[in-house]
Amino acid sequence: MDTARPAQTPFDRSIVHSSRQFMLRYGVYVSLATLLVLALIFTPDLYKAQNLTLILRQAAQLGLVAIGQTLVLLVAGLDLSVGGVIVLTNVVIAEVSNGDNARLPLALAVALGLGALVGLANGLLVTRRNVPPFVATLGVLVFITGAQVAYTRGIPSGFVPNALNVVNQSVGPLPVSFLIWAGFTALFSFLLYLMPYGRRIYAVGSNREAARLSGLRVNRVLLSVYVLCSLMAVAAGIVLSGYVGYIDRYLGRGFDLDSIAAAVVGGTAFTGGRGGLFGTVAGVLIIQILSSMSLLLGLNVQVQFILKGLVIVAAVALYTMAARRA
Amino acid sequence: MRLKRVFSAGLVCLLLLGAMSLYAQEATEEPASGVQFTEEEIAASPYLESLLRRQNETYDTSAFAKEGPYRIALASQGPTNSWAALFDEHVRWRVEELGPDVVSELLYADANGSADIQVPQVEDLLAQEPDALILVPMGRAALSAPVERAMAQGVPVILCASGVDTDNFVTEIGTNLYRSGKSLAEWLVDELGGEGNILQMNGIPGVDTAEIEAQAARTVWAANPGINVLDEQYGQWSTAEAKRVMEQWIAQFGDQIDGIWSNGAQMSMGIISAYEDAGLPIPPIAGGEYMNGFLRVADAHGVEFYAKQYPPSMSVLCVDTAIQVLRGEPVQRFIDFQDYIEETRDFSHEEIDEFFNPNWSDDVFGPVFFPEERLAELGYLVESSEG
Repeated sequence: MDTARPAQTPFDRSIVHSSRQFMLRYGVYVSLATLLVLALIFTPDLYKAQNLTLILRQAAQLGLVAIGQTLVLLVAGLDLSVGGVIVLTNVVIAEVSNGDNARLPLALAVALGLGALVGLANGLLVTRRNVPPFVATLGVLVFITGAQVAYTRGIPSGFVPNALNVVNQSVGPLPVSFLIWAGFTALFSFLLYLMPYGRRIYAVGSNREAARLSGLRVNRVLLSVYVLCSLMAVAAGIVLSGYVGYIDRYLGRGFDLDSIAAAVVGGTAFTGGRGGLFGTVAGVLIIQILSSMSLLLGLNVQVQFILKGLVIVAAVALYTMAARRA
Repeated sequence: MRLKRVFSAGLVCLLLLGAMSLYAQEATEEPASGVQFTEEEIAASPYLESLLRRQNETYDTSAFAKEGPYRIALASQGPTNSWAALFDEHVRWRVEELGPDVVSELLYADANGSADIQVPQVEDLLAQEPDALILVPMGRAALSAPVERAMAQGVPVILCASGVDTDNFVTEIGTNLYRSGKSLAEWLVDELGGEGNILQMNGIPGVDTAEIEAQAARTVWAANPGINVLDEQYGQWSTAEAKRVMEQWIAQFGDQIDGIWSNGAQMSMGIISAYEDAGLPIPPIAGGEYMNGFLRVADAHGVEFYAKQYPPSMSVLCVDTAIQVLRGEPVQRFIDFQDYIEETRDFSHEEIDEFFNPNWSDDVFGPVFFPEERLAELGYLVESSEG
C-alpha cells in the first residue's frame, strides 16, 4: 500500500517557499500587530496616551542599546559588556560633572572616550587574538566593573547634572528619549542600507572568508562595529542617567541579554548576515509592550519571566525553521 | 590614711561606673521596636522561628578563651559596592582603635561578592591558623561546609550580615529582617489611619532577604482589612527598574495610590523620581534606609517616609563580638545590632536632620563611626567647593 504523501507541485513549493520568506522578513511585524490586537482586547488601558508615552520612553532606553547589539550580531558577534558600559557612563557623568551643568560636555566626552576604548578592546580581542566574542566581551565586562570599583573605591561620588533631565521631557506627544532613539535608528539605517559600509557589514557577517578574499578589510569592519556598539551603550547610559537622575549601580542590569533578545526576536540571526534594524525596533517594542501588559494585568513576576522566555524561544525556533527550509 | 581615702573614692567610682555600664547594657538589650509576632507568624516563617530561638540562646565560649593579642581573619564580600566598602573600612578602623595589644593582625580576604571565590579563601585563611574568623557569607549553602571545618579546627566563627545553613557556628550579627518588613508596613498602616490603597514593591524575586521582608508586609495587610493592595511587583533593587514600574502604576492607578511599601532606598529613589516627572504629590513611602542619597532626595521633596537600617558599620559589632568570644565571655547566638547600636534604629522623616549629612556622597550608608577625615581620605565626601 502506498502511504507516501502526494508529491508537492512546483506551485505548492513556491507557496511554501514564499510563505517562509514572508515569515523570515515580516514575522516580527505580524507578531507586533497581533500583540497590539491582543492588548486591545485584554488591556485596553495600554492605549491611554500616558501609557503609550511611557512605552515609547522606556523602549527608547533598550532600543539604543539594541541598535549596537544588532550591528554586532550582524557580523556574527555578541557584546555582553553593554551593561557595564551603561553603569560606567552613569558613574563618569556623576564623577566628572559633579552635578554641574557646565561640566556636562566634558563628562560626556570622557564617557564617549571610555566607551570607544571598551569597544576597541572588545574588537581587538576578537580580531587580533581570535577570542570568541562571548568570552572577550564577558572578560571586558568584568575588567571595566573591577576598574570602576577600584577607581571609586566602591563609592561613586557626585551627582547627575539636572540638564540631563531633558530626556524626560516631551516634544508634543513624543518623549525626547524616543526622538533620540528614532534619530539614531534613522542614522544607522542610512549607514546599513544605503552606504557601502552597510553592505560590508552584511558581507562580513554572511561569510567572513569570502569577504576577506574579495578584498574587504574584515578586521577593520569588525573593530568599527564593536566600537559603535559600545558608543551606543554610552548613548543609552546618558539617556538612562537623565531618566534616573542619580547614580544607580544596577542601572545596566539586564540590558545585555535584553538587547540580544530584542535583536533576535526582531529577526537578526546569531550566525550573522541576516536581520536588520527595523526588525530590532519591532523586537524592542514587543518586549516593552509585553512588559507593560504584564503590569497592567497584574501578572506576578514568575509569569512575566516565563512569558518573556517563551516569546524569545518561540521567535528563535520559528526563524530557525523558516531559514533552514527557505 | 590619705591613701585609704583615695582608694575608697576610687572603689566607689568604679562601682558607680560598673552600675552605669550594667544599666546601659540592660537599657540597650531591650527590643529596639515594639513589633510583636503572633504564634502563627512564627510557625509560618522558619527564618523568624530560628532567629527568635537563637536570640534567646547563649554560646559558652570558654573553649575558645585565650590570652591576646589576637589574630583575626575577615572573609569579606570585598569592596564591590559602597555598602561593602564601608563595611571593610569600619573593621579596619575598629582594629586600629583597639590597638596591636588587642588585635595583632587582621587577615583579610576579598571574595568579590562570589561564593565560589569565598569557599577556597576561607580554607586559605584557616591554614594561617587565625584565633577567630569573621565571615560575611556569600552563599548560605556554599559556606556551610567551610564554617563547619573552621569550628572543627577550633576557630570560632562569627557570621556577620548574613547566615549559613548549618547551625554549627558561634553567633550571627544582623537584624530581624521580618521585623524590618513588618515595622515598615505597620508605620504605613498607621500613617493611613488603617485605610487606603497601597502598592508593594519588593526587591529581587527569590532572594531570601527580599522575600522575608515581603512576607512580613503581607501579614500586616492581611491583619488590616481597611488596607487594599492594588498591586505587588519587583523593582530589582534598582532605581531605574523601580521608576519604570512606578510610572506604569501611576498611569494605571493615578491618584488612587495612598501609600507605597518599598523594599529599599535605591528603589524608593526611583519611586520619588517617577512622581516628580508625573507632577503628582508623593504619597507616604515605607521604604527608606540610612542611605545619604535617599535622604537628600526625600528631604528635597518633603517626602513622608519610614526607614529601616542594615548598616555596614555593624562590622564594628562583629569585631567586638570576636574579641568577646576570644576572652571566653558568653555571647547570644543571634545578635541584633539594633539592640546594641542606638544609631541603627528605624526612623522617619521627622528625624531626617539627625541622619542626613550634606557632606557625604549619595552612596554612603550611615551611621559612620570613624572620623569624617577618614571618609575624606577615601574620597567619600562630596567636593566642598561645590557646596
